[in-house]
Amino acid sequence: MTLDSAMRITAAMMALAFIQQSLEHLHPAARLQERLLFVPRLILSLLLLAASVGMPLSALHPSYLLLALVINHLVILPFFNGPYNGGADRMSLLILLCLTGAYTLPEPRWREMAFGYLGMQLLLSYVMAGWVKVVNPDWRSGRALRDVFLFSAYPAGENIRQWAGHPRLLLYAGWAVIGFELAFPLTVLSRPTLLAGLAIAALFHGANACLFGLNRFFWIWICAYPSILWLQERVIG
Amino acid sequence: MFPFTGLRLLLPALVPSWRFFDAVSASPRVDYAILAAPDEAAGHWEEFRARPAVLRLGTMLRRLAWNPQWNENLYLVSLSERLMTATGVETQAHSQRELLRRVARHLDRHGLSGPGDYLQIRLRFVSRTGPGEDVVSEVAYESDPCLLAGLITR
Repeated sequence: MTLDSAMRITAAMMALAFIQQSLEHLHPAARLQERLLFVPRLILSLLLLAASVGMPLSALHPSYLLLALVINHLVILPFFNGPYNGGADRMSLLILLCLTGAYTLPEPRWREMAFGYLGMQLLLSYVMAGWVKVVNPDWRSGRALRDVFLFSAYPAGENIRQWAGHPRLLLYAGWAVIGFELAFPLTVLSRPTLLAGLAIAALFHGANACLFGLNRFFWIWICAYPSILWLQERVIG
Repeated sequence: MFPFTGLRLLLPALVPSWRFFDAVSASPRVDYAILAAPDEAAGHWEEFRARPAVLRLGTMLRRLAWNPQWNENLYLVSLSERLMTATGVETQAHSQRELLRRVARHLDRHGLSGPGDYLQIRLRFVSRTGPGEDVVSEVAYESDPCLLAGLITR
């Protein structure tokens, strides 16, 4: 995968994720002020999608659209006084900033570094999440995952809360998550293992989306997958 | 002031911590009470957007594509945590204002309140007590009663 094709695929996927997020902010229950912030984001994302898939919009190079999206976020962030959707928004911003750097920096080596940084952060997102769990005795004993189901704000239905009553199942599930997250760096050793690792990770995000309603995590995390596929090819070959 | 506030909030995204679920701490719930007068004591508190008893697979899959209300609920959780932990007056005021406005807008849109009513919210933090499955709630914040009409903007 060339740098250019990986960047275009990432830009197209991010644009689709931004369109989904923006439409959620445009629903009639949102305040007018909020909707006015997301109309430009929706339009810019649609244009970025068109430019990324090669539609003839010659005046609108992705670099201009990405810079405009960064400026748009400089207004959106103060409105919510930070991220609206926690980690999903942080990953959205990271992808946007890395892509903007990859499209606008003058030297090819800097452009590679900007895009490679995204791949490295994706890898860290799994390793760090595994590390903070494995050093916590509550995670190692299964208590923490039981608490997530028992009283945290995330289970999207009361029937999902009932999973807290299955401690053995949650102990195994917790260790499966920790093991996968910590072992993720090993998947970059070859292309087949990386593809398998990313497929498992996507299933994990899908499960979180279903059980905890974290749909934006699912869509935005897979947007960063082309960057690690490119980085693996660039570094390991 | 643009663009400095936005830059201050944007730049941490370049070095994320990725510490998801590192510890499971007390979890906020937003309750509301509708009052006829500002000096009336809240007699009945209702949980704001209580979870459905049963969430079916079809609904879960549909919410993969369209989940605005739940994502707003998660924002209310963030606002609640910010309100309780922020040291800055501006962050506290923003969190309080947003919580009240979003609850008021929902009640207004669903016909659960009248324009002359007053809204009061409280934040209840739920945590486990002891080694079993028992949980307790502790009220950590109660807003002043606010005229609903003054909270609802277009």
